[in-house]
Amino acid sequence: MTATSTNGIMIEMIKVSKTYPPETKALSDVSLSVATGEMFFLIGMSGAGKTTLLKLLCNMESPTNGLIEIGGVNIHRTRGRKLARLRQKVGVAYQDFKLLTDRTVAENIAISMEVSYKKPQHIKKRVRDLLDQLSLAGKHDTITAELSRGEQQRVALARAVANSPTLILVDEPTGNLDSTTTERVMELLTKCNKSGATVVIATHDHSIYTNTHHRIMELQHGRLNLVRKGAS
Amino acid sequence: MSFWFAVFRQVGRNLRQTWPSQFMTLLTVSLSVLIFAFFFLIYNNMLRVGDKLGDDLQLVVYLEEEPGPEMQEQLRKKILAFDDVEEIRFISKAEALRTFSDQLGDDRDVLDDMPQDFLPASIEVVPLKNLRNLSQLKLFSEYLAKLPAAEKVQYGQDWIERFYYFTRLISIIVLLSGGLLILTSVFMVSYTIRLTILGRQAELELLKLVGATNYYIRTPFLIEGLLQGFIGSILGLISLYSLFQWIKLKFSGPGIMSMFEFSFFQVTTISTIIALSIVLCAVGSYTSMQKFLRI
Repeated sequence: MTATSTNGIMIEMIKVSKTYPPETKALSDVSLSVATGEMFFLIGMSGAGKTTLLKLLCNMESPTNGLIEIGGVNIHRTRGRKLARLRQKVGVAYQDFKLLTDRTVAENIAISMEVSYKKPQHIKKRVRDLLDQLSLAGKHDTITAELSRGEQQRVALARAVANSPTLILVDEPTGNLDSTTTERVMELLTKCNKSGATVVIATHDHSIYTNTHHRIMELQHGRLNLVRKGAS
Repeated sequence: MSFWFAVFRQVGRNLRQTWPSQFMTLLTVSLSVLIFAFFFLIYNNMLRVGDKLGDDLQLVVYLEEEPGPEMQEQLRKKILAFDDVEEIRFISKAEALRTFSDQLGDDRDVLDDMPQDFLPASIEVVPLKNLRNLSQLKLFSEYLAKLPAAEKVQYGQDWIERFYYFTRLISIIVLLSGGLLILTSVFMVSYTIRLTILGRQAELELLKLVGATNYYIRTPFLIEGLLQGFIGSILGLISLYSLFQWIKLKFSGPGIMSMFEFSFFQVTTISTIIALSIVLCAVGSYTSMQKFLRI
């Protein structure tokens, strides 16, 4: 099983709800389809449910109700080796980065390729390429705890895209970045999208989506509303 | 990159990061193996000494009267009715005196004034090799004591009993130290792996999220357990061998120790101890993973 859709749909969410105990409703009856190869923006205020939605998509959490399929596979019913393989095809840049702070930048990026047994030469080359693209070339051997938040954010993004996943989920990718670096990050994500990856970006930074032609949906109090249709 | 390359690199990383606790575990496993193997070695050698002494074991039945040929045949039949024996020898009074006189050597003239039949006739019974158990020997001796004309049965009871109880004590110590080996190895390895897991919770969580399989995450911990067992037991056995050589050197020369040839474990016993240690440490590692590795 891979996260490659067979019918052109990468993400399918049908009437998905998520309630945190005791009764905090994060998402209510959210239905969403994201086509394979689409770049999709999910916007909303802080606490609107963007991160929850991404966590459901990468199976970090389970929905209270509803169905979620990634590439035609119900991810919340998938276990073991199949789930591991599916996750190798889904790159996630978490809002809290989830970096190993006692490891170097290179080691952090390499980890996503190591689990799918990529060759060491390939891993080295890919790490250097990504660091160049994200203006982190000089930080190859730096321990991530010593990086600024903006740098850590880029390392998390590099790790998400390193294994050339078919689905990339990015949570607030530009929160700590200046405009030049934001541009470079968006360039990288666009490049991944052009090479076939489906990209979902959760953000409240309007500068990264206002001048694009991609579909935008907004989460408000756990409900999803269409803001702009994408150009076909 | 292959699965095993990735796994061994992860093992190397774990060992580097948690070497103090790994070292302590290794030390504990080595000591447990050393303690157990030490007593097991003593027990083994005791059994060998027992076997050697058992070769000379015989029960002597002293008789009131010297039996004639018919009586001898009857007695032989009665003895064999209890169990098969290695050998039955009838010793006449004259033969007993001759033997005694030979034993006295140059002092044999002290017997000159003694009557020629003052020593009793006897039967020397050499039991089969499988009749070496103390209770069986006692039963046999009681049976022999009830033979017609039997006055007394001797087989070095006191000495044999002492030897038997000492062997039993050693076997209890072997069992206890074996239990200790099992408990300490499983507990220490399980504790070290638990510490490693708790210390690397964030990394394990991340590995899971980026698509590492359960085998990818678990195998390094299992290999750490196997290594602890293997290296720990080798170190324990090397220490024991050095100790054994030192004792042999120290107590060589004339004396009671030189009567017996002490030997180290056979290759099969060494392999079994190492295999047992590896299995125990792997069990410790596995139980810890089952308890604390939520993947």
